[in-house]
Amino acid sequence: MFTEPFMQRALLGALILAPLCALLGVFVTARRMAFFSDTVAHASLTGTAAAFLVGLTEPTPGMLVVSLLVAASIIWLREKSGLYHDTIMALLLTGSVAVGTVILSRLRGFKGELHRVLFGDVLAVGPTELWLAGGLLILVVCGGAWFLSPLSLITTSEDLAHVSGISVRAYNYGFILVLTLTVTVSIRLVGILLVGALLVIPPAAARLVSRNLRQEIWIAVLFGMVAGGGGVIVSYQADVPCGPAIVLVSIGLFIVSLIIGRLTSVTRGSLRPA
Amino acid sequence: MTAPCPAPPVVATRHLCVQLGGRRILNDVCLEIAPGKLVALIGPNGAGKTTLLRTLLGLIPVQSGEFSLLGCSDLRTALPSIGYVPQRLALGDGLALSVREFLALRRRKTRNWFWRSRQNLDLELPAIAEELGVRPLLDKSVSSLSGGQLQRVLISFSLLDEPKLLFLDEPTEGVDAPGERTFYEIISDIHRLHGLTVVLVSHDLSMVHKHASWVIALNGRVCCEGAPDDIIREDALREAYGLHVTSYHHHHDPNPGSIPPPHSHSHDHNHPHVH
Repeated sequence: MFTEPFMQRALLGALILAPLCALLGVFVTARRMAFFSDTVAHASLTGTAAAFLVGLTEPTPGMLVVSLLVAASIIWLREKSGLYHDTIMALLLTGSVAVGTVILSRLRGFKGELHRVLFGDVLAVGPTELWLAGGLLILVVCGGAWFLSPLSLITTSEDLAHVSGISVRAYNYGFILVLTLTVTVSIRLVGILLVGALLVIPPAAARLVSRNLRQEIWIAVLFGMVAGGGGVIVSYQADVPCGPAIVLVSIGLFIVSLIIGRLTSVTRGSLRPA
Repeated sequence: MTAPCPAPPVVATRHLCVQLGGRRILNDVCLEIAPGKLVALIGPNGAGKTTLLRTLLGLIPVQSGEFSLLGCSDLRTALPSIGYVPQRLALGDGLALSVREFLALRRRKTRNWFWRSRQNLDLELPAIAEELGVRPLLDKSVSSLSGGQLQRVLISFSLLDEPKLLFLDEPTEGVDAPGERTFYEIISDIHRLHGLTVVLVSHDLSMVHKHASWVIALNGRVCCEGAPDDIIREDALREAYGLHVTSYHHHHDPNPGSIPPPHSHSHDHNHPHVH
């Protein structure tokens, strides 16, 4: 099955993007930013439509531009408007979906693209997406040693991070930038509706069986790789869409972690209701 | 290159005004704190105690006026010499962060903790963490600690790079009464042994009277300041707290089952009680 180039690209993409999402997801879940990533993901619908509207054959550039604009808008509105976080994001999420759907419905020959953007497609992972994913991986791995501690401290307490001499705002912007790029590139693989699962489920499963942050990060990355690689294989073998297959494998890992966590009581006393 | 910081005063504010949500919280606050003092900031709810602390740490912008810490008006120069213990509720618990990892985040030399062994990190644990009995907690998750344990970890964290100035914001919030007494004794010991200046926000006037060397009563502005005996009195506090101040007979009975009480002893005082 891996003699076919599209499958090689899909598997490589999954093995890069799923662990990358899992690593970022450790901090996304801890900082309760899942809704943020969902919003920038949905902005990709408008990005896709805008790309086709201006005559591009590949939607990825449009998706990246619009998602980054929406991420910047969230930050700007949060700082300037005084509105609540989730109000701003609900506004931009629904607005993006509405604009994207209206444009796509007016374009001829692109209705099939809507399904592909929503649920992902192994065929959609091309050389552009692989180069972007590889670049992001290098950025995160090389920067990891440098930003892991500040990001962990900011996640635990922004005040303590500030007093420890960390530039909280700069790190927050950097994290949002990397997260937005990762989410947008991952959409080609798993789709808008399911990319959030890639950010949330493997880290949540890792949290259930981890005693410390180092373990949590390694296990989340491992779960991401298993979910990504396993999902692509299941997708091919069972002839089902790639995104749902990856999410179902992730949910399987989560259930196994839940059982192991309960049996070993690793998380006893460390998990609190939100 | 930055100018050397002259020692006194450790904290100085001049006509400091701070506004939050359209409401002025601090109005023309002028104060100076001499080095080596254990200073308690007291006042009713909404008096601006936490706001003052957060403003001094650069967490809230100044509307007008100015301040300096450790003789420096540039906060970035002063921050490496400042420790801070926030309110317990301000800590996020979303990460499976162990106490060992949490402590490593503070120190520049251990910030690459992810790639270092446990033994290596433990070797870097300073004496202060040993003094506070943090070693048995190193493998625990920060989010699983009790209120008293978390306070010891937070104090260790704040003291890791040997600060000259320590800010504590209602540090006993969520800690039971015996734990609260122990906490104040720890702070008092650290202040005495390490000679650092401590500024703490507190509602417990009895503990403030026992341990503080200087008290500042705040209610939007500095109402009065002085030695605990001069400030923890009905007439002085009435100005800060309003009319709801009465005298009561206060008992401190140590709970031998729950505190290591090297300095605690039973005593009675007539302290004002705030309603």
